[in-house]
Amino acid sequence: MAERIWKAAGWMAVGLLIVLPGLSLVLQSFANSWRAPAVFPQEFGLRGFEIAFSSAGAIGAGLDSLAVASATTALCLVLAWPAARALAQCGIARSPLVVLVIALPLLMPPYLAGFGLTEWFIRLGLDATVIGLVLAHTVLALPYAVIILTFGFGSHLRELEEMADLAGLSRLRRLAWVSLPSVRPTLATAALLSFLVSWSQYGPSLAVGGGRATLPVVMLPFIRTDPQVAAALGMLFIVPAMLVLVWAVRSQRNPL
Amino acid sequence: MEARDPERRLTRPGGRTAVSQHLGLLPALAVLLLLYGGAVLGALRVSLIPLGGGTGELTLDAWGAVFADPTFLDALAFTIRITVIATAISALLALLLALSVRDRGLLARVSSAGPVPVPHLLVATVAVLWLAPGGIADRVLGGLPLNPIRDPGGSGVILVYVFKETPFIALLLLASLGRSVRQREEAARVLGANRLQAFTWVLWPALRAPLLLGSLIVAAFTIGSFEVPLAVGPSYPQTLAGWAFEATRGDLISGEGEAAAALLVAGALAVALAAISARFARNVEGG
Repeated sequence: MAERIWKAAGWMAVGLLIVLPGLSLVLQSFANSWRAPAVFPQEFGLRGFEIAFSSAGAIGAGLDSLAVASATTALCLVLAWPAARALAQCGIARSPLVVLVIALPLLMPPYLAGFGLTEWFIRLGLDATVIGLVLAHTVLALPYAVIILTFGFGSHLRELEEMADLAGLSRLRRLAWVSLPSVRPTLATAALLSFLVSWSQYGPSLAVGGGRATLPVVMLPFIRTDPQVAAALGMLFIVPAMLVLVWAVRSQRNPL
Repeated sequence: MEARDPERRLTRPGGRTAVSQHLGLLPALAVLLLLYGGAVLGALRVSLIPLGGGTGELTLDAWGAVFADPTFLDALAFTIRITVIATAISALLALLLALSVRDRGLLARVSSAGPVPVPHLLVATVAVLWLAPGGIADRVLGGLPLNPIRDPGGSGVILVYVFKETPFIALLLLASLGRSVRQREEAARVLGANRLQAFTWVLWPALRAPLLLGSLIVAAFTIGSFEVPLAVGPSYPQTLAGWAFEATRGDLISGEGEAAAALLVAGALAVALAAISARFARNVEGG
C-alpha cells in the first residue's frame, strides 16, 4: 500500500513539476491570446514565432549561439583532454594551486569574467565577434570539462593503454582504438556540459557580445514584456539542448 | 623509446612519462590564467584606476563609493539572503529526493534529474507563466498566497533556483549512493542499528562530501546570479551582478569602477565560502 502511494506521489510530482510546465510552455508559444481568467488560450497562432524570427532576430542569434557553443565545446575538449589525463594520472598535478586555478571560474560570478574581458577584447578587436564569445565561454566551460574528464582517466584506461602498448599499437591507433572508445561516455558528458554552459550563458555574452546577441540575450527582455515571444524563443532554446542531451545519453552505451 | 617501454612505465611512474603528462596541464592552465586571470585583473584595474581622464593613479574612490552606497549594501544583503535560502532549501530537498529515488528504476532517476539540462532562462519563462499575477496558478487556484514574481523578498528568484538546483545536488548525491553504501547499510541494520543510526553512521558519511560540494557550487552560482533576477526578480533590491550591470549603464566614468568593485565583492564572497567549505570538509574528515 505504502509503495503504491509513493509511486503515485512520484508520478504526480513528475507531472506537476516537469510535464505540465513543459506543456504549458508549448501552449504559451502558440497562444496569440490567453487572457485571464481562462485556463486555456482563447486564440492560437504563430504570432510569437513570427516576432521571434522577424524583429527579435532569433535565426541570426540562434546560429551565432550554435556556432559559439559548438566551437566552445570543441576547444574545451581539446584543452581538457591532456589536463584531465595529467590530473588523473599524476598525483603531484593535483596541488591546491592548480585546483584553485581550475575551479575559480566555477566560483566567481560569470558576469565578472565577461566584464573583465570586455576592455581587453575591445583593444584586441575581439568584442562582438564569435571568437571573442567562444574565448569568454571557454573560460567558463573548461573547468567543467576538465573535472568531468578527470573521472574518465582512471586506472582502467591506463591498464587498457598499457595493453595496447604491449600489443604494439602506434600512438594514433592507440588513441583511435583504445583511448577514445574507452572514455567515450565521459567525453560525451564533458561535451554535453560544455555545450550547455555556453548555450545558456547570459552575462558574459551580454558583456563581450556587444552588438552580437546570442539567444539568451535576445530572449531575456521578452520574459518581462511578451511571454508568448519568450515561450517561442524558449522552444528554439530548448531543442538543441535536448538534442545534445539525447546524443550524450546515447554515447554512454557500449563503452570499451 | 623509453616512454613506450611498458615495463618501465609500470615500475617507474616518475620517469619521462610523468613529466610529459604534467605538461598536459599547461594548455588548459595557460588559457585559464591568461583569460580568467586577465578578466579578474582587468576588473581589479578598472576598480582602482578611473577610466577615461584622471591621472592614471591608483585610487580607492570606487570602493569607497560602493560601500557608502545604500543601494549596493541592499544588493549585498539581498544576494546573501537569496543565496542562503535557495541553497539551504535545495540541499534539504535534494537529500530527500536522492533518498527517495535511489531504489527506484531508471525512469524515476532520470525524471528526478529532468530540470538539470534545462537553461535557467527557460525555467524563468515558465515561472512567469505560472506564478505571475494572473498566471496559470492564479487562474486555477483563484489566487495565490504570495506574488513570487518581482517579489522584493526574492521568493520568485529562490523558487527558480530551488527548481533548478535541487535535482543537480540530488544527482551528485545519487552518484555517491552506490551499491557498497547499500551493503554497508544492510550490514548495519543486521547488526541491530535502527534507521536513524544507519543514517547517521552509514549514509551521512557517504553523503556529506557531495552535499557540501553541491551546496557550495549552488551557493557560488547564486551569489553571481544575474539573469534569473533580471527575469523574475524585483527591480529593487538587485543582486550584486545586477547592481553592477546597472552601474555600467548609469555613470559612464565612475560606473565602470563601481561595477568592477561590486563584482569583485561577489567573487570574494564565493571564494571565501569555498575556503570555509574546504576547511569544514577537512575538519569533518579529520575528526
